[in-house]
Amino acid sequence: MIKNEISYAQLLETNNLIQQNSDETYWLCATRTVQESKIFPVSAYILFSYLNCFYRYPELLKKIEANMSAEEVGDRARNTGVKILAWTIPCFYLLGREMLINWGVVKPTDAVEDVVYVMDFWKRFQLSWHRNNGGLTNRQNGHRAQIFPEQKLQVFHADAFECVPGDELHNSAQEFMATIAQYGFLVSCESRLTIHNHGPYKVSENREMLVRDFRELAEYDFPWLDGVAKDLLYNNLTVAMIVEDTHITLLDDWGSFEAEPELKSEHIRAVGLWTADNLTDGHQPIGMDSPEQLTQTFIELTAQIKVATTKLWEQMAGWSRDQQMDAGALNYFAVPKELAHIAGCYESSDWMMIDDRAERFRPLLNDEYGNLFLGELVGLITQPSQQAHAYTMAQHTDKATKGLSFIPYSVLQDEPYTSGVGPITGGVTNLEPKQDRYRTSEGVLSESELNERCKEFTMTACTEEFRLLCSDWVKYHFRDDKADHLFAIEQKHSRLLKGKGASLSRDDIEALRNK
Amino acid sequence: MSKLYVDTDKYGYLSEFASVEAYNCAIKDVVRKRFEESDVGWEEFVFGVGEQLISKDDMQAIEDKLLALGYRFEPSAMSSPLERPDAYKDSGLSNEDFCFEHKEATIGEIETNGRELRGSGDNVVNHVANLNGIARYVRTSDKVLEYLKDGVPEETIAIVDDSGGTLTAPILEQFKGVLCAGGTTRSHLAILTREYNIPCLMNVNLNGIKTGELIEVEVTAPSKTADDYSSGTDVTARIWRLHN
Repeated sequence: MIKNEISYAQLLETNNLIQQNSDETYWLCATRTVQESKIFPVSAYILFSYLNCFYRYPELLKKIEANMSAEEVGDRARNTGVKILAWTIPCFYLLGREMLINWGVVKPTDAVEDVVYVMDFWKRFQLSWHRNNGGLTNRQNGHRAQIFPEQKLQVFHADAFECVPGDELHNSAQEFMATIAQYGFLVSCESRLTIHNHGPYKVSENREMLVRDFRELAEYDFPWLDGVAKDLLYNNLTVAMIVEDTHITLLDDWGSFEAEPELKSEHIRAVGLWTADNLTDGHQPIGMDSPEQLTQTFIELTAQIKVATTKLWEQMAGWSRDQQMDAGALNYFAVPKELAHIAGCYESSDWMMIDDRAERFRPLLNDEYGNLFLGELVGLITQPSQQAHAYTMAQHTDKATKGLSFIPYSVLQDEPYTSGVGPITGGVTNLEPKQDRYRTSEGVLSESELNERCKEFTMTACTEEFRLLCSDWVKYHFRDDKADHLFAIEQKHSRLLKGKGASLSRDDIEALRNK
Repeated sequence: MSKLYVDTDKYGYLSEFASVEAYNCAIKDVVRKRFEESDVGWEEFVFGVGEQLISKDDMQAIEDKLLALGYRFEPSAMSSPLERPDAYKDSGLSNEDFCFEHKEATIGEIETNGRELRGSGDNVVNHVANLNGIARYVRTSDKVLEYLKDGVPEETIAIVDDSGGTLTAPILEQFKGVLCAGGTTRSHLAILTREYNIPCLMNVNLNGIKTGELIEVEVTAPSKTADDYSSGTDVTARIWRLHN
């Protein structure tokens, strides 16, 4: 492979990004929780996914950028929502590299251009996704994720219906969120990748709004949802949940949150429901004409999801271990596949296959080795490659460790290095072949139809006219017609804000709600 | 034998766990051997001929060698020992008479009110009254299937091994309460029971409670918070067997 020139500045930045991910990985793994399941060999499939990421991400991210830049993909993702990407792209990839370093299969000086590129792609995507709060990660924003612009938040705030504990809307919303969370854990093979929260957003003196995305619920990329999820008409659902008298103190890069006092169902005081995908022009309300209609919508969706949950569980409980390994690993590995959809270049053979180079290591990944090796890599930080000189004091632990290996700067001088893993040559799967059915807001499409439509479609907020109109522009131009047009994009489906323009404040919205 | 880059390491030496070290050393041995056989430089080997030379069969041979010594792996997924009883220890999951006998469980004498302390755990959500019900172990997909077909018996407080949300997914909301031997109050199972408003203790240490016994769970205890975990503060909720 032809080597490109890597500069000192690029390496400095790459190693900085590696270190940021190293510190956050430790914090997340040590303070959140481990995953366990009697159905899935979770640790083993996680390790398997890391290897797949190492061998496939460089090519697949380049393929996305051949169609659309990472930052433009980020713009679109900000408007429709995505799964948890902040931690997954760099850490899955780098942990695969770390495994292979400890196995002696690669050196820290191998795949240098790949590492630089993957981290750079991630950085540009993240900065775009986080454009409205100016951070790279939730961590960098004090474990907070204020992703949406004012015009979308105003609509969510205005249109969410009030509810109180014990009323029909409160009960149905609560049961819906429990049922969809349950289904989500199952769809994503015991991981939380189906569920993504962002916020908090301040709504009033004692109220905050959390935006809860439930993504990839219907027949879409995962072969295991073919048939099982045929009756689910929405692939993505977004719940805006307004809570009272509790403060969301932390929302981490895994999309999970904590509140003080502890968030209980009685804190929920308003809810709304929307859907969005790469073919909708922003978020579309579902059942949002009246509280009664929303209640009925929650009840119907809950019933549909329960049926799908039982069918999916019965299917998964009958899987072989290899099928469990493949589904779990592909679910982890393929988190960024939505970016390929956005760019209109998704191919199932890219994202739903275990790469031949990763497949070689399957026999190693028994339950015991999986648990112990993963525990060392992300929790104990005790693998040889992770040990640093004795003066080192790692963030969080003060130990002489570094969770993820840097690229040595010596590669800029005389130390030999390799550029990358090269093209994807083949892959395998033990799962049933994916049927060519993709549930979208425009009905069920084939893979090629979906790619074509994604390529052709640009949501209004991402057109050249509006894409760069940020809150700093709105601040000084809110009386311009153009600002009204910008707000009208989000307001066109709004019950309370249609045609209201750009000049309303948050307090005006609150007053409108209380009329 | 060829020397690998990672064979010269000033700061790192061994893995923490012996079996991880054994595996990783065996893989490095394969890489050394195949690299030497290749007769090319590392740059040609690593993402070139090495990808053909280091094979799945090599990795299988590592496992075969370990199993030939009589080693058996600790299982976590049900499928692993079921498919390969020759490679895994017996999980014991199908034993209908099973009960947890955690040495760490706090136990006590029968009190005058008929309660006998048999364990404790981390309370997920603080409730207004303690929970009484019938203990039933739910450890396998066969048990879940049985309950899915026949319905979960009334008053069931499920006792489960792992903190995941998948094993009990289709029947979770039918439980009156849940006691989980693993995880924390932020595990998936804890998240789900919180969403369903089902009383639940995580990280339970339990001794001698059997399926069918009447128990009381102290879900009026404070919930265990992130701060409690990070500061090591002991916040526990108790579990009693009821003698009436």
